[in-house]
Amino acid sequence: MRTSIEIVVSPKGDVKVETKGFTGGDCRAASKTLEEALGIKASDQVTAEFYQHQATQTQQQQHS
Amino acid sequence: MGTHRHRRGGVAPAVTVSLSTRALRKRRCPISHIVTIHTEIRDVAALQAACARLSLPPPKLGTARLYEAEATGQIVKLPGWTYPVIIDTEKGEVKEDNFGGAWGDPKELDKLLQAYAVEKCRIESRKAGHSVTEQALPDGSIKLTVQVAGGA
Repeated sequence: MRTSIEIVVSPKGDVKVETKGFTGGDCRAASKTLEEALGIKASDQVTAEFYQHQATQTQQQQHS
Repeated sequence: MGTHRHRRGGVAPAVTVSLSTRALRKRRCPISHIVTIHTEIRDVAALQAACARLSLPPPKLGTARLYEAEATGQIVKLPGWTYPVIIDTEKGEVKEDNFGGAWGDPKELDKLLQAYAVEKCRIESRKAGHSVTEQALPDGSIKLTVQVAGGA
């Protein structure tokens, strides 16, 4: 999977940073410098990719 | 209690696996996250680039007068604003007086903040050796996609 960081800057200047395709803690490390350079972190959440993985784990258990 | 026995020919019971974030990191599983950031103007080079992007005169370091006070910092004159905005890049503070919009359209300041954030992202991404593409979105937002060098 390709690794990228998607940044959306709102018309008011607030920024949403989303990491894509990273494994483990690499996603936080990849965007950390950018986040610190931009300003104050208002929120931080794990994305659906995290939960999709949990769902996969559950399905694998059900079929084993 | 707590054990699951598989009956021959039967359906295996559903087992919900709950893994902590730390456990997922150890297993090298895909994790992504979203961070929301309130932009602070602290980089003069990015501020200069933002002014150029908006075709504004470059910021000048100095002291300028607002309606009731003076302030020192990077002075930016926004279109249609009676008083300049003065940016303390050490503290990330923007000092302005537009009298609730009567002395200047607040959207002009929003545009400056947006342009600054875009330019700051571009500068930091280039420093890290990443390539950046930019796209204007219908709602007025600007999307940057950073392809991370050396990524998996």
